[in-house]
Amino acid sequence: MSNETQKILTTDGVPLEESLKKVEKKNKIKAFLLVAPLLFYLLITYIFPIGDMFLRSVDDKMVTKMLPKTFKAMEQWDGQELPPEEVFKAFYLDYRILVKEKTFGKLATQLNYEKNGFKSILKKLARKQKKFTEGNYKEQIMKVHKRWANVEYWRAIKRRAPNYTYAKYLKGVDMYEDENGKIVQVEETRRVHKKLWFRTLEIAFFVTVFCFLMAYPIAHLLATLPMKYSNLLMICVLLPFWTSLLVRTASWMILLQQQGIVNDFFVWIGLVADENRPEMMYNKTGTYVAMTQILLPFMVLPLYSVMKTISPSLMRAGKSLGGTPFIAFWKVYFPLTIPGIGAGCLLVFILAIGYYITPALVGGASGTLISNQIAYHMKSTLDWSFASAMGLMLLVGVLAIYWVYNKLVGVDNIKLG
Amino acid sequence: MRKLSKLLLALTFALSITSSAFAVTVASWGGAYTESQKLGYGDPTAKALGIDINWVDYSGGLSEIKAQKEAGAINWDIMDVFAMDTITGCDEGIFVEFDFDKDFPPAPDGTPASEDFFTSMPSKCAVGNILYSWNYAYNSEAWNKTPKTIKDFFNTKRFPGKRAIYKSALTNLEIALAADGVKMGKGGDLIYKKLEADGGVDRAIAKIKDLCSDPNGGCVFWSAGAQPPELLMSGEVVMATGWNGRFFNATVGEGAPIVQVWDGQGLDYEYFALVKGGPDEANAKKALSMMTNTEMLAGSAKYIAYAPWRKSSIAVMEAGEPWYKDGKTNMVPHMPTAPANLKKYFLVNADFWADNSAEIGEKWEAMKAGL
Repeated sequence: MSNETQKILTTDGVPLEESLKKVEKKNKIKAFLLVAPLLFYLLITYIFPIGDMFLRSVDDKMVTKMLPKTFKAMEQWDGQELPPEEVFKAFYLDYRILVKEKTFGKLATQLNYEKNGFKSILKKLARKQKKFTEGNYKEQIMKVHKRWANVEYWRAIKRRAPNYTYAKYLKGVDMYEDENGKIVQVEETRRVHKKLWFRTLEIAFFVTVFCFLMAYPIAHLLATLPMKYSNLLMICVLLPFWTSLLVRTASWMILLQQQGIVNDFFVWIGLVADENRPEMMYNKTGTYVAMTQILLPFMVLPLYSVMKTISPSLMRAGKSLGGTPFIAFWKVYFPLTIPGIGAGCLLVFILAIGYYITPALVGGASGTLISNQIAYHMKSTLDWSFASAMGLMLLVGVLAIYWVYNKLVGVDNIKLG
Repeated sequence: MRKLSKLLLALTFALSITSSAFAVTVASWGGAYTESQKLGYGDPTAKALGIDINWVDYSGGLSEIKAQKEAGAINWDIMDVFAMDTITGCDEGIFVEFDFDKDFPPAPDGTPASEDFFTSMPSKCAVGNILYSWNYAYNSEAWNKTPKTIKDFFNTKRFPGKRAIYKSALTNLEIALAADGVKMGKGGDLIYKKLEADGGVDRAIAKIKDLCSDPNGGCVFWSAGAQPPELLMSGEVVMATGWNGRFFNATVGEGAPIVQVWDGQGLDYEYFALVKGGPDEANAKKALSMMTNTEMLAGSAKYIAYAPWRKSSIAVMEAGEPWYKDGKTNMVPHMPTAPANLKKYFLVNADFWADNSAEIGEKWEAMKAGL
């Protein structure tokens, strides 16, 4: 009896609790349907490609399938000296099938990624193997090209044996796994990726700092000037934002080169001698100048939107309570702008880290960044798995920075507008 | 009136759609080069065969066609590619393999196609269209001495000033060794032998590093073909390696004070490749065969200073001089293949670069990073 009285019924006799749940469920479905397109969109354009990229970067089944006998025979081989006759024979048998099926080119491309110089000797072998006689394949293969007698090449084949591999990630930081299973650095003259990672980070970091230093006063002016001036200033900020990236980069080249307008001006006012014009282009200076200018709006706009909401009376209050203008700014105004600073810095940094057209055009010898390397492997070598691996490393790097930022400042403090 | 124009617009739109559906699509590099191809042999072939030929621009490399193939929607029939790309594309099964003498017509005097072309093809999937040169040029107002050899390019004592060189190692290593005293050999084979030997690549890179870190020298790295003449004209550099067609346009076309040096030039080739499973493979094959015949190839040299691949095309040009579109410039002396320009040259070895470009690229970037 007491149970009955506790339950409140709706007019049609269903317990209120249940009917509320029903409505809620309906609303939930409706809400889900509303966000479903976005979710679907994210899945297709974001989650799925990243997953695909990851698979591509570790999947090495193709080579494994192409040389089944070879890899089986290689299991016994310790990789110290030239492999025994069985390995050569197995390789010959595998390869003969590939030549017959005309798929040996794919193997050549793959093995050439592992060790340069494979392409031509595999092609030579494809031609010569037709005349091979039964038995003693080791000698016959080694006679085709002297590289076949180099154990390095056989080690390279063995490295491609597993179905899945993290070798591409090691390669991205100039390392590889040697025949003893130890992870070692590549020879010194070929260590380039690590340099490029650091260079990319360095450029992105300093561009962010420069952008911040320049954007803060601009945003402050924008937020505090009377409307008729601030509108004009806003247009000055936005106009370059709407101009094509390439046009802006090219104009910097015209301005900054040694025979360019800026240098001409310096010579004219007597700041530098004509034959001693400073180099401001095709080096890091040029990269910093051009990238800072190009990315500046991404810092100004979030800062402005945050500063606009800060009431001017707060600063006045700070001053009336006895603070100097600097203390009032530092203790009252600045902390309030941190969400804008966070958003701006994160935006600029993430954009800068993936930049490559501008550094490639104005950066000179130091103009190659990690993204150029990714593009190179996408377009020229077609080593998409390596490009994917480096792309993912870049993505993880950005996420890591985001995580650090979250720990230090807190993501809730980001405000874009 | 308004209605009529709208109707016309709709009609032309519909027409353009239907016609493009049955057209052969060629992907090439754009700009003056595609223009020369279109005017030189594209349009005449289209007219003769009654097939529409569309030209689309791309920026080189095989990534787009590979993506199209993986997505199962191939849009291009013919591609204009580098030698290295024909090798990779052939290996990857992207391009159709040719039966060369059957698929391409002989010269007018009956010489089979395979002998009419200057050299053999780098892969079975390639047919050449032009030869161009990686040579160097200097600003004639820089000094009153004139550089004459490839060694002069590296001689910063006699010819002080900055140099512009290509951003990657391709052809830079070859000229570095040549300037370092290595004999070219026939078509540069001795150079490539040296590069393949131990320490060869390091020696060449060291030579470039010397040039770039020399206070009297220094390097600007160019990436787009339009840059070298521009850098020379603006006075940013005094010497620049580059593509001869671009230098030709700057000097003959625009009258810039630039002089080309042919000593130690690298002859490189551009190829057509037929995409396997393209939208209209049969017609594309017909069109390709016609576009690369003697008359047609010579046609493109009317508009740009790149040499047609066929020897017989040069004969056509010689008979028709002045061949350049302005009607007064003789084209044959400006060709990389003119005998006066061929005294010391190397053929860019596609096999070598297909084999080694990745590792050399790493060394090259490491060198650049240390500048």
